[in-house]
Amino acid sequence: MNRSRRRNCNTVNAASLARWIVMTAFVALAGLAYVYLTLQLYHLGERRKAVENELASLRTQNDIAAAQIAALTSRSALQRRLKEGYLKMIPVSESKIVRLTIPPRSSDEEAVQPVANPLAQHESK
Amino acid sequence: MFSFRLIYLQAIKHDEYAGLAAEKHVYKQIIHAERGMILDANNEVLAHNIPVETVVADATHVSNLQATVDLLNAELEIPSDQLAEKLNSGRRYIVIKREVPAARANALREKLRGGNLRGIYFEHDATRLYPNGSMLCHVIGFADFDHHGIQGVEASMEEYLHGQDGYRFIEHNRAGNEIVPYRGEERASRDGYQVHLTVDLGLQSIVEEEIDAAMKEYSPQKATIILMRPQTGEILAIANRPNFDLNFRSEAKPEEMKNRAIIDMMEPGSTFKIVAAAAALNEHKMRPDSEVFCENGLWNFGGSALHDHRAFGRLSVREVLIKSSNIGAAKLALSVGEQKFYEYIRRFGFGERTGIELPGEINGVIRPPQTWSKISITRIPMGHEVGVTPLQMTSAMATIANGGKLVTPRIIKSVTTGDGKIISSLSPVIQRQVISAETAKQIGEALRGVVSDQGTAAAAAVPGFTIAGKTGTAQKVNPNGGYDHGKYVVSFLGYLPADHPEFVGLVVLDDAHTSKPELNYGGLVAGPIFSHVAEKAARYLDLEPHEEIRKAIPIQRVEKLKPAERLRKTAPAERIALTDGPQR
Repeated sequence: MNRSRRRNCNTVNAASLARWIVMTAFVALAGLAYVYLTLQLYHLGERRKAVENELASLRTQNDIAAAQIAALTSRSALQRRLKEGYLKMIPVSESKIVRLTIPPRSSDEEAVQPVANPLAQHESK
Repeated sequence: MFSFRLIYLQAIKHDEYAGLAAEKHVYKQIIHAERGMILDANNEVLAHNIPVETVVADATHVSNLQATVDLLNAELEIPSDQLAEKLNSGRRYIVIKREVPAARANALREKLRGGNLRGIYFEHDATRLYPNGSMLCHVIGFADFDHHGIQGVEASMEEYLHGQDGYRFIEHNRAGNEIVPYRGEERASRDGYQVHLTVDLGLQSIVEEEIDAAMKEYSPQKATIILMRPQTGEILAIANRPNFDLNFRSEAKPEEMKNRAIIDMMEPGSTFKIVAAAAALNEHKMRPDSEVFCENGLWNFGGSALHDHRAFGRLSVREVLIKSSNIGAAKLALSVGEQKFYEYIRRFGFGERTGIELPGEINGVIRPPQTWSKISITRIPMGHEVGVTPLQMTSAMATIANGGKLVTPRIIKSVTTGDGKIISSLSPVIQRQVISAETAKQIGEALRGVVSDQGTAAAAAVPGFTIAGKTGTAQKVNPNGGYDHGKYVVSFLGYLPADHPEFVGLVVLDDAHTSKPELNYGGLVAGPIFSHVAEKAARYLDLEPHEEIRKAIPIQRVEKLKPAERLRKTAPAERIALTDGPQR
């Protein structure tokens, strides 16, 4: 009886078991890694979208600011402000204009530049 | 059996079912290209983009129709019934509203998220902003909602300004958010190029200011001022009245939207005498000092009387222009003959488009000699029986200023990318040598006399500069035939400085209202306007005045002349004869 019971018992093949455990663990890890990486992919996608939105928002703000600058510094706007008295500009009179008649000399030459406006020359004397 | 079915679905029918799935989930997102800016010659912004959002819907994604309709109605002020109709259509791409400001779109986005409402999406877009409002409106033009130019440079340079939209295939999850890892094919957008005009906004503002002052003083029906650089054909400034604000274009009337410099036809009046004089001199039929008998002010030709304003006897060719003798001009044209005179008219560019880069330009009307009446050869030299545009007249005077070379007028300076790389840079185009340089010089010298106490336009003088120019006063054509009594188109066409022209200018006022009818002449109305424009322009361009000339022309005295004195001194020639009118 005892003999036959002993015969019916199979011995555990430790190496095979270990192999299966490793394989199962590997598959499980691979699965987990897949899930983790997939989640990472989604997460990075969301971050990418958020950065894109932020970039678009900054670009929009920049464009709005540029448009406002263009509107506020346009010639029409400046002329309007001039008429309203916010800017004060006085036309330069002809006698105050000095015209250089020859090409400008190099800066190391300490010479008086001749001018073509006799009125200006006269006034400076 | 199960395996076969699996293979059938996964392999054989893969593409079909994948397509159906994609149709259900994949969404083509348009990446809008930004329209290129329009700038002046000194890079001042004329047309800019301002970011807005387009609210669109996918009706198949809308879960709570009533709540969505209510929210859109409250935020975008669109009637609920219109919204409900659109969202019930089942279509996958519905434009709910365009040009929604970014701040408003963000508020709507937050409320949609808060209410967990799906199916409404936002597309980045831009709308046009014209910082200078009505300034240069006819040249800049405007674009429609789809960013296609429909007038002005916006239309003519559409190819460069428009850019190329990109796209991206995306998928949404159940919440309507994009699943970024599932992004499909993508193509980046290419922004439109920047277009630089030849117009200098500094000069343009001078012209705008003067034309506004002229409108206030004379209340003409229409007015046009053009400044052009004769050597290159560059338009430096151009203004028309009536005009409109580009930022409120939907409120503009059709009459205000016409660029009259290129689409309005007028009888030019005596400014056209330069063509007859140029033809006679260039054909060597006359010399500048050759004398023409002006019939003592009344000449019967072809069964019709032609008058001069004063009884002139013998005048040199030069004096014919200075005194603006109609009979003298008619005899100059007769000396070259009908066919030759017609050829010169055409060689000066009349009867054909100038070729400026603006849409809608007309040819004008120049009839061939075969259709002329017996008296046409005497009426055309004084600017009757022809239809020309203000730009054609400016171009003809530029030919005189440019040594006889006809240069194509142009308004586009260059096309660049956003970072300044030049895509296209336009060079001056010399069409032909219309008259010899010698003839052009002779005409120019005669035209200097026009802006003197002996000429018809002493009031066009500019202190410190020599000016060559010609006045014009044409009786206004009645669309129903004949002429409108008491209505005139007055003009002055000239260039400065006469020796080395920096710009050619034209001032035209249609039906100006003067305090007395006898003051309604080109020299008295358009001449002073030209003087103001030219003086300011010369200062702006830093042209050096000649002191001796400043002393020689006492401009203050000329301006202070009483109208009656002025009439005696500078009796305008063209007006008297025009009341006689050509026989039609």
